[in-house]
Amino acid sequence: MQSHARIRTLAIGVVILLLLATACAPGKPAAEKRDYFKVGVVTSLSGSLANGGNITKRGYDYWADTVNEQGGIEVNGQQYRVELVFADAKSDPAQAAAAAERLVVEEKVDFIFGPYSSSATMGAAPIIEKHKMPHITGSAESPSIWKEGFRYTFGTIPAANLMAPAAVKTLAATDPTVKTVYVVGIDDPFASAVAEAFRDTAEELGLEVLEYTLVPSGADLSPIVSKAKAAAPDAFLFGGHPENHIALMKASQELGFNPKAFLIHWGVETADFLSGAGDQAEYVWGTTPWMPNANYSDPLWGDTKAAVEGFNLRHGRRPDYTETASAATGVVFMEALKQIETDGPPLDEQEKEALVEALENVSVTTWFGPVSFERSGEFMHDNIGLTVLTLQIQDGNAVVIGPPDQQEVKPRYPAPPWDER
Amino acid sequence: MELFAQTVVNGLLIGGVYVAIAVGFSLAFGVLHIIDFAVGEWVILGALVGWTLTEWLAVEPLFLLPLVAVGFSLLGWIIQPLIRRVVTGDRPLPVLMGLVFTFGLGILAQAVAFLVWGINRRSIASGLGGQAFELHVAGISLTIPVLRLVMFVFGMAVVAAVSTILRRTRYGAAVRAAAQNPVMAGLLGVNVDRIGRIVYAAYAAITGAAGMFIGMLFAISPEVGLQYTTFAFFTVVLAGMGYVPGVPVAGLALGLLQSLVATSRLGPRYVYLVVFLVLYLILLVSPRGILRRGWA
Repeated sequence: MQSHARIRTLAIGVVILLLLATACAPGKPAAEKRDYFKVGVVTSLSGSLANGGNITKRGYDYWADTVNEQGGIEVNGQQYRVELVFADAKSDPAQAAAAAERLVVEEKVDFIFGPYSSSATMGAAPIIEKHKMPHITGSAESPSIWKEGFRYTFGTIPAANLMAPAAVKTLAATDPTVKTVYVVGIDDPFASAVAEAFRDTAEELGLEVLEYTLVPSGADLSPIVSKAKAAAPDAFLFGGHPENHIALMKASQELGFNPKAFLIHWGVETADFLSGAGDQAEYVWGTTPWMPNANYSDPLWGDTKAAVEGFNLRHGRRPDYTETASAATGVVFMEALKQIETDGPPLDEQEKEALVEALENVSVTTWFGPVSFERSGEFMHDNIGLTVLTLQIQDGNAVVIGPPDQQEVKPRYPAPPWDER
Repeated sequence: MELFAQTVVNGLLIGGVYVAIAVGFSLAFGVLHIIDFAVGEWVILGALVGWTLTEWLAVEPLFLLPLVAVGFSLLGWIIQPLIRRVVTGDRPLPVLMGLVFTFGLGILAQAVAFLVWGINRRSIASGLGGQAFELHVAGISLTIPVLRLVMFVFGMAVVAAVSTILRRTRYGAAVRAAAQNPVMAGLLGVNVDRIGRIVYAAYAAITGAAGMFIGMLFAISPEVGLQYTTFAFFTVVLAGMGYVPGVPVAGLALGLLQSLVATSRLGPRYVYLVVFLVLYLILLVSPRGILRRGWA
């Protein structure tokens, strides 16, 4: 009994001490000056989207390393280095929200680079909104993000429904003409938005949409391919990710499904798709906001060519458009920082507000292309400065086949039957 | 009608994929009472190792299947004593211990795969990839993809071989004895430890080889292991836990169901919803699996 009493006394003592310690803790420490910008990155470094998450990471890292090699970001005549602080979104919107919260509350970052994937962005954006933290995402293409009208979230990649129509327009202008299309999308926010945009554009252009359907990721595509084959469309339009694209092309050849054109939304030019699908990648159409042979000036790297070469030195290959768009987010922040009154990091609340206003008005050409953000409406804060290209795989390489003023070569259309390739 | 027949063929061939992934898993549970949560990682490792070997040696990957199977059986042979330590002895809830331990092994395997192969999506290029033959039955033309058919045959052959060995040979009788009552079997002269190692090695070999087929048919990367664990798990639960002859029935049923729902008016979006619902209902009615022969 006595020992119980002693333990109770001890426990009460500990509680009192803890309470005292909490009460004595300084309320809010004055923000100490830093000689570097602390940039938070919310992206998926694990889980099913780790591949995409690492694509954004490579882009963000490339920017940060280049800035630091050049001495830092210049603000009011002084240079500040940058430090990236990563928080893993774990391919889960709820985790993305928690990651954003941690970056703001614990890490006290100055601004945030956003996640790969629209679902993670949708998880993080409301938290970022709550904390009034400037945020640009280098890779989120679902239109639903911009419809929300977030004040603090911006994006460098055009939404899927800004990108997808361009490719369908190129398709509709081919000779012999496309009359019927079959639209399939993977059932996630991004890919379904792509499929929806494919369908809507096709309908607007007067094409007959034979079917519009969504498939869960990971489900075998052979039943879908057989059904499409029975419908015999002129073109098969598919919204998904490289693993789905590879599976689609394999199943299509196996089952002898041979429309005049396969159009997939993104990733047609990635090494994953080209090597994974092999010969089956030939003749496939795709779309992209950017190609490595583009020719834009850039305030940090000089121009696209120099930036692509630098990336090639690091990774032994040219960047894809998501890596580029992610690297460009940093350039956009640098331009916006030039426009505001600040005495350097950390940025206080007023400075962050000023930064957001500067972002709304920013107009800068980066190695990714011109970036300017829409200020209202369904594309609010999405980048509307770019020209979207239509690609086709010809002889193992992605070449630009549209729009007409950008066309490098004519599309190879219709695609020959599988056994004649 | 042609579409329906083709849908049935597609479904059966998807079922073949499930069978190939699940048969080793069912064997490991039936004999060793291990719910190996790392089964999806074995699949992925099989695919990735197969991819590397194919790139290096530049030969038809199907010829490399025996090599992968032997390599994986060695790996299984080495790992099994670790698992045995966890699930035997004076520990409470050995099945749960095995589950947790293999879950950890799975995470480790995934991390290793990330380190070695990175995050890229890969696919093994087989000469049979994309090949198919036409079958004309009663005025209906059916397309049979060769590679899927080979995987189907592989899965069925493994089920037949495992069932035959277990039912018809002296060694199989020893394995069943070791599964039913390891202590008694040991007293009667059966080397239970050795049987455990051989069975786990066989499981690893079968699953690694199935992974190679997956790598030829689809795109794989280290993060998709869990998907295949789920497929294996559902197939085995439906088959009756540990009941190997139930695996083809369950696998083909799941494949058919998936294929039929995908082409039905309901549409592919609800494929997994319907599959889960059916699985739930069957387990409600018959907790020991579709043939009522598994563990309760």
